[in-house]
Amino acid sequence: MGGNPVATFKFLGLTFSYVNIVSGLLASLVVFLLVFWLSRNLQLKPTGKQNVLEWIMDFTNGIVRGSISGDEASNYGLYAFTLFLFIFVSNQMGLFINIEGPSGDILKSPTADPIVTMTLALMTVMMAHFSGVSKLGFKEYFKSTYLSPFKFWLPISVFEEFTNFLTLGLRLFGNIFAGEMLLKTIGGFAFSHGITTVIFAIPLELLWQGFSVFIGSIQAFVFVTLTTVYISQKVQPEE
Amino acid sequence: MFSQLTLGASLYVGDMLFYAICFLVLMALIAKFAWNPVNAMLKERADRIANDMDSAENARKDAQELAAQRKQELDNSQAEATNIISNAKDSGNKQRGQIISDAQKDAQLLKENAQRDIDQQRDDALKSAKDDVASLSIEIASKLMKKELNSESQKGLIDSYIEGLGKSNESR
Repeated sequence: MGGNPVATFKFLGLTFSYVNIVSGLLASLVVFLLVFWLSRNLQLKPTGKQNVLEWIMDFTNGIVRGSISGDEASNYGLYAFTLFLFIFVSNQMGLFINIEGPSGDILKSPTADPIVTMTLALMTVMMAHFSGVSKLGFKEYFKSTYLSPFKFWLPISVFEEFTNFLTLGLRLFGNIFAGEMLLKTIGGFAFSHGITTVIFAIPLELLWQGFSVFIGSIQAFVFVTLTTVYISQKVQPEE
Repeated sequence: MFSQLTLGASLYVGDMLFYAICFLVLMALIAKFAWNPVNAMLKERADRIANDMDSAENARKDAQELAAQRKQELDNSQAEATNIISNAKDSGNKQRGQIISDAQKDAQLLKENAQRDIDQQRDDALKSAKDDVASLSIEIASKLMKKELNSESQKGLIDSYIEGLGKSNESR
């Protein structure tokens, strides 16, 4: 990145960027293959990899149940599971595979691009509003979302919906983008003045890489948690 | 970098569409290959566990019933054993009394028989002694008549006879 032009192509009048498509496909493929591999040979008495899969499912189901109560929770388990794994893998991807071609990046964290995180945030927000309407009916949904606690709260509520959407996407983008940026900066610094800077850069890079793994995990968790919170606000209006 | 912030001309709508579709396809694939099978398996496991717990509960109840039954039977058999022992004791006592009284009766009978025999024999002996005495007297008398009598020899004869009689009586 860093001001490099991004290679794009046009298809059916829409603009695509190579790097996002390659990275997104790779992330999806990794998630799918991981889950596919983990879910082979299911047994009543879980062993090895099946335990891992069940643990992840239990973890994401736990996030969902933390915000959405009762039988509503089971409707969003799959979404939370896929979202968590996709964001997690995307976040970690750029940390160890970051390929820069002559005309911009070829492979990086998809979530280091605002268009990707905003797409995910948009999906979550649309899903939350859709769930609210289908659960409560449009009238109740409108009343509980925009007219509570007072009728003249309406502008603030509408504004809040936009800030929710923006912060959800931009928080993830900011964290991952900053992590990648600093990794690249340290990498650049390492090779700027010969061997001495390499020696100084190695522990720095190591430290920041570890911290970025941590941040990536936390941000995946936060994104899924906020998703379930927004959904629960639409589905179960506060009394 | 700000070319990425998509405020200008290059809004990558295609990317958004691509990611949305990619995510939905990924979700569908995960649902088909992992989520639904795992959930079905989890449900099966929950059912199995519930069944196992139910059957364990039933087995426990059965075992409790069986134990109670066994205890009752044991108590019954103990009572029965006491009963049998006391019955045996009673019948033993009865039998002992019977045997003792029978023996006493037998002994009495034997004693009576013996007494009767003794009496009979004494009577017989007395009778035969009387006969002997009579025949002896006759013998003596006949001897006396045959013999010439002097008083002294007669006296000695009689004495000797009487002595002999006493002896023969004693020996009896």
